[in-house]
Amino acid sequence: MSAVGVAVPFVRRRPPARVRRKRMLVAIANHSLLIAASIAFLAPFVFIALTALMTNDQALSPNLWPHPFAWHNFIDVFTKAPLWRWTFNTFEYAVLATLGVVLSSVPVAYALARLRWRGRNLAFIVVLIALMLPPQVTVVPLYVMWAKFHPFGFNFIGTLWPVIIPNWFGDAFSIFLLRQFFLTIPEEYMDAARVDGCGEVRILVTVVSRLAKPAIAAVALFSFLYTFNDFFLPLLYSGEQPHNWVLSIGLSEFRSLHQVQWNLTMAATLLVMAPVIVLFFLAQRAFVEGVTLTGVKG
Amino acid sequence: MSPWLVGFSVFFGYPLVMSAYLSLNHYDLLSAPRWVGLANYRYLFTIDPQTWTAVKNTLWMIGVLVPLQVLGAFGLALMLARARTGVGIFRTIFYLPALAPPVAATLGFVFILNPATGPVNTILSHLGISGPLWFQDPGWAKPSLVMLGVWGVGNTMIIFLAAVLDVPRTLYESAQLDGAGPLQRLRYVTLPSISPVLLFAAVLGVIQGLQYFTQAYVAAGVASGQASQAADVTAVSLGYPLDSTLMYPVLLYQHGFTDFQMGYASAMAMFLFAVSFVVTLAIVLNSRRWVHSGAR
Amino acid sequence: MKRVATVAALLALTLTLAGSASGAARHRSAPTKLTVWVGWSARELGAFKKLAAEYQKANPGVSLNVVGSINDDKIVAAIRAGTAPDVVSSFNSYDVGIYCGTGGWIDLTSLMKQSGISTSMFPATTNYYTQYGGKKCALPLLADTYGLYYNKALFKKAGISGPPKTIAELTADAKKLTIRNPDGSLKQVGIDPFIGFYENVPERWILPWGGTYTDSSGKAHLATDSAWTKWLTWQKKLIDWYGYKNLVKFQAGLGDEFSASNAFEVGKVAMNLDGEWRVAFIQAEHPTLDYGTAPMPAAAPGLYGSGYINGTIIGIPKNGKNTAQAWKFVKWVTTNTHALAEFSNAIKNVPSTTASTHSKELVPDAHFATFLKIFANPKSGTSPIEASGASYTNAVQNFATKWQAGTVKNLASGLASLDKQLDAQVKQAKGGGVP
Repeated sequence: MSAVGVAVPFVRRRPPARVRRKRMLVAIANHSLLIAASIAFLAPFVFIALTALMTNDQALSPNLWPHPFAWHNFIDVFTKAPLWRWTFNTFEYAVLATLGVVLSSVPVAYALARLRWRGRNLAFIVVLIALMLPPQVTVVPLYVMWAKFHPFGFNFIGTLWPVIIPNWFGDAFSIFLLRQFFLTIPEEYMDAARVDGCGEVRILVTVVSRLAKPAIAAVALFSFLYTFNDFFLPLLYSGEQPHNWVLSIGLSEFRSLHQVQWNLTMAATLLVMAPVIVLFFLAQRAFVEGVTLTGVKG
Repeated sequence: MSPWLVGFSVFFGYPLVMSAYLSLNHYDLLSAPRWVGLANYRYLFTIDPQTWTAVKNTLWMIGVLVPLQVLGAFGLALMLARARTGVGIFRTIFYLPALAPPVAATLGFVFILNPATGPVNTILSHLGISGPLWFQDPGWAKPSLVMLGVWGVGNTMIIFLAAVLDVPRTLYESAQLDGAGPLQRLRYVTLPSISPVLLFAAVLGVIQGLQYFTQAYVAAGVASGQASQAADVTAVSLGYPLDSTLMYPVLLYQHGFTDFQMGYASAMAMFLFAVSFVVTLAIVLNSRRWVHSGAR
Repeated sequence: MKRVATVAALLALTLTLAGSASGAARHRSAPTKLTVWVGWSARELGAFKKLAAEYQKANPGVSLNVVGSINDDKIVAAIRAGTAPDVVSSFNSYDVGIYCGTGGWIDLTSLMKQSGISTSMFPATTNYYTQYGGKKCALPLLADTYGLYYNKALFKKAGISGPPKTIAELTADAKKLTIRNPDGSLKQVGIDPFIGFYENVPERWILPWGGTYTDSSGKAHLATDSAWTKWLTWQKKLIDWYGYKNLVKFQAGLGDEFSASNAFEVGKVAMNLDGEWRVAFIQAEHPTLDYGTAPMPAAAPGLYGSGYINGTIIGIPKNGKNTAQAWKFVKWVTTNTHALAEFSNAIKNVPSTTASTHSKELVPDAHFATFLKIFANPKSGTSPIEASGASYTNAVQNFATKWQAGTVKNLASGLASLDKQLDAQVKQAKGGGVP
């Protein structure tokens, strides 16, 4: 975008004053709208933060501003609920699942994009179907499967393994996204590597992975976000075992289970939002590029 | 390919087939499945009064939320594309809510819209307006969920913004030379150029709408939080208030994993499968582009 | 290459799993570890853990792992998934029909016979709600009875001398004790009859109205038992007097029921239907609160003094590995007079054997004595134990929720179709239909 901006030579005449004034007014109107929208978008965060700093009694009143500021709420939430344990579980799920998605989806996407084999188009259609089907469709038999599967007397129900393990066998969305990106890599790179005597695995590891870095980063990012935020599947499998809960389950049950008021609930809400928002500010570019990638390639 | 094939068969193919099989059985996980033929489907379509409530609620959400999300994201993207300063800041602000974990965002909204202690009604009452009961009112619960959905429209907005900025400048300039006003330029230049992206977002919205679960489930549970905790709370919280947030996936979860009517839940799943499949098929057939662009 | 990777991954997985399994096996030589699930949390959980510690001290061969905050959904899910613990307990008996009917909780009859435990040790109502279909799959572990809590300070302020005994008195007092804000919204409520608020469910309200669920043939008869129509009509009328929306908004601003901000404890509702445990909560959270307890006002003089009884039940899920040890603990905790009295003192629940209700160890408490009397009242009762479990009372509750919101136009026909739904539900749960 910026490249285009620079490339276009700036030869236009300075517009007449009337036009300039009109443009100015339009710009002001536009910015006022933007500011109004920004306030609306930020307000919920502000209210959550303010309530998180209120005392018990105050959170039960319609007051808007904390008085006094109850900073200790952020310490109290940790004593009220096993937040650390849930945070650990959440990261365990998110990290292991993301690792699995990336490691398993890249080869499949490569095979779908660049290798010639019988049934390739069929396989791709299957990926598309898997991509679009609601998870609820297959959830009952999967639950039954995990419930009846007891290797060495180990119970999968009640743990997070039934939500982690499937990610190690490819994820439709990631396969789709990566395949679309791999298609944009010129075939010449691969051909050159093949001439040098590289096998497909080596090409994948050395050439393709390097060229597809943004796409792989996007897939990892989305997978991490998705699993970090996931509620339905963890609820299904670990809902009855509070020590295996992830943050999203813990948060949803926080108020009723720990007999607390809105102030602590909002403090916990803010703490659950924090990791993703921090991650966003650390990797803002990867985020925007990644999101754009899904839209444009799709 | 082989690990993927294994995974695909175990985690997708097999359950799909099993789902069809279980839907023809009575199964409670304790005793062996008992064949009942089409009885589950008959009960689902002709007897269970909750089925159609859930279907209607789900369609309502899709019908209202998806257009509003597309419009909202498009409006924000247009404003951002025209803005001269502060684009980065505005973009970040509009995008942040999309990052908020759905459970956290839902909890936040249920509190903010709490009719007694929430800031929105407090501010409204200062303005002399008696605010609605939001998540506590069957008529307002779904609109409240829509507000939550529109708040988290950031991803779509970023995609739209990229698409709008990708429209070649020259197209606008030539349109302007032809005497087209701003609205006409929007209608004849911007919209056609980015229509595939709009369509994509709408399709994605419909697919997500069919699996809408977390927000509805959490909002109902938290909003009904004043209910009895010593007794069984599911009677009150399911679809609270008065079935207004009872979405199809929520009902499926209730039947399958609270009541453990696995056969019946499978029948529900097969119906969802059929609907999603038709939607998916319509999309795939109408945009062969996606499938064949890469075949070369 | 890829295949090698898969095999390696599977191998690694198997090894981890095997590791954790053998790890569990290694600990077997230590005392038998029993996992006990209970519904209590916080202060009450602490009291139960104390009881468990006492048992452990007397039985060094057993180590108890107590897990709190367990509700019925979790218990049912765990039984289906085969992950249930050794001993499990629920706050109420709603699902006993499911536990017994499906065999999810084992039948204790033979174990009781071996240990010489007879059902005659327990009061009749508690015996009723711990059995279904000829199976005794649970035992009562303290009982809950429901009565009226009233705020004496607010009563004095309103010029009311004592607790209401009749429905007419209840209505009048409720109105006198209600204070509205200038904008018409509610500041203080006399009594909140809204179904879904705190402990308000139909089965607890209907008892002093004399309502029953089934006729002699076992069919639901809520439409023809006039008590239901009378209660529902009264309830709706009072709600409309407050204003449905006002009441909903009022409730949304109240503190959590089991927190120190409970609406009765902070004086926002002047009267409240609640269980006997609230006595201990008030003692712990608001010891200076000036309040009294009484039976719920009744529709007929003969019914006054009765109340709803239910209680915590405890049992042994099937497929448990340590049934013998589990039974030993269940037997001790449900029949040992000392254990019951001590636990009752700690959490102020009604002791659940006939012997323990007369125990010298019980600390006398005037507030609590009301509930012991309600417990002993012959007109007191519980909700029906049916094969469909909690779904039965849930359906009634659902109906009442719709009724109070004004979406049921005709009460008589509404109740008639509720009856049909209840009968169909039971038939289905017994296996006569789907799902």
